[in-house]
Amino acid sequence: MDVDVRSLGASSIVDSLKSIYSLVLLLVLWEAVTRMGLIYPYFLPQLSVVIHEFVVLVSTGQMIHAAYLTLMRAFVGLAGAAVAGVAVGILCARNALFEWFFDPLIKIGYPVPVISLVPVFMLWFGIGDVSKIIMVAVGTFWPIAVNARDATRQVEQNLIRSARMMGTGDRRLLWRVILPAASPGIFTGLQIATPIALIITFVFEMVAGGGGLGALEIAGVRGFNSAQTYAVIFAIIAIGLVLDRLLRAARTRLLDWT
Amino acid sequence: MATNELWTPERIPDPFAGVAKLLFDWIPLLLLVLGWEVVSGRAVSESVLPPPTAVAAATVDLFATGEVVPHLAVSLLRVGVGLSLSIVVGVLLGIGMSQSEAVENFFDVFLSLIYPLPKTALVPLALLWLGIGTKTAVLIVFLACLLPIVMNANNAAENVDRNLIRSARMMGTSDRRLFWKVVIPATIPEILTGIRQAIPFAFISLISAELIASEQGMGRLIRDAGSLGRYPAMFATIVIISAVAYTAVYGFEQVRERVLVWT
Repeated sequence: MDVDVRSLGASSIVDSLKSIYSLVLLLVLWEAVTRMGLIYPYFLPQLSVVIHEFVVLVSTGQMIHAAYLTLMRAFVGLAGAAVAGVAVGILCARNALFEWFFDPLIKIGYPVPVISLVPVFMLWFGIGDVSKIIMVAVGTFWPIAVNARDATRQVEQNLIRSARMMGTGDRRLLWRVILPAASPGIFTGLQIATPIALIITFVFEMVAGGGGLGALEIAGVRGFNSAQTYAVIFAIIAIGLVLDRLLRAARTRLLDWT
Repeated sequence: MATNELWTPERIPDPFAGVAKLLFDWIPLLLLVLGWEVVSGRAVSESVLPPPTAVAAATVDLFATGEVVPHLAVSLLRVGVGLSLSIVVGVLLGIGMSQSEAVENFFDVFLSLIYPLPKTALVPLALLWLGIGTKTAVLIVFLACLLPIVMNANNAAENVDRNLIRSARMMGTSDRRLFWKVVIPATIPEILTGIRQAIPFAFISLISAELIASEQGMGRLIRDAGSLGRYPAMFATIVIISAVAYTAVYGFEQVRERVLVWT
């Protein structure tokens, strides 16, 4: 399930037309139905109005600033979780004491719907950037740690034994053998965590405000300016598509030796 | 595994070994709860982090007074209806896309567009269309669960063993029978995997929708308890919904193992 506009060629043009005609149809229908006034504009403004709103939000810098706030919060939190999660995950797989201590915590902590902690983080750290970043870090820690742990456990014993036999020290073993061998699994953890980071950021921004795409989006609903809500969703879809592509590209580039 | 097991059961007589190991495994959790109890009221204020005993008392209270019951009921209804809808639609769509190119061409572009979109970003849109309450929550749960189910069902249906289909055809199986007796059973394991992947998203999207756009439900109760300063009740509600999510995830895994004995 991938829309892919391949290099030119008659058959591929027909193919890509086939795969996007339904979207074009929907967009044309959207504009037509709203122009005829069949739908109350608050529910569904004209597509052209939404596009105009999008352009205005981008050119005034509002959308850019909101996107910057959201992405900054999501990725600073994610970076913290990546460091802590990979460290804990590898230690769990390599050290019996860590495994004993963290395994039950991971088992209990992983299925908790982290999003339910938003009011708790508002109580503990307020509604500012720090609160949102910590919340993202806590929420994305679990999938990253679990994937790092499982990937490290599956590192081939023969690799480790061979390295040991050649006199590799603990530190070199970690950096040169275990981390590279576990990196596909660790990357999967990051791929799972990225949408979770965005989910947490959006919801926190909708509940607590403080700027960002989530706040801008919900402001559209509250201020009876639904074109703004639709325009922000367009932006979020674009960001989601770009992030997804970037992660896939990074994966093939970084892990093409596997 | 290179690590040597901390637990060496040889020393303990057999009948007790299992119980002892279980206790041993859960000591870390116990330590954490004890640490929390000690810290609360001393290092941090009791209102910021109520002690586990207070949270436990609040949990019992929420059930004893019946306060949590309507919220829990409405949340379970929302998550149940949303997830069920996504299973029905997801399986039909996933298998339909594998069987017919027209269906695939029509839906593929929409699925590709909503795939990278965090579904909770659609809460404001659902709020716009359906207002505050159950419909909005159900729609968001449905959308969040739909993709993992569609993708797994589609994947499975496209990869049904050709030999199975050929053998069935050779024995004169009709299209309809082939679909119900061969394609569907062959895809069940992956459909169950899709549902398993969807359950955590079901709860995340449920709570998100209820935090933002609901007068009822566990998400709303957490938020209300927080804003009224009833912190033990807030933590208790989180504990209850987490227990429900936990039961759903591990319960489903048990069911899946039972169902899939034939694979």
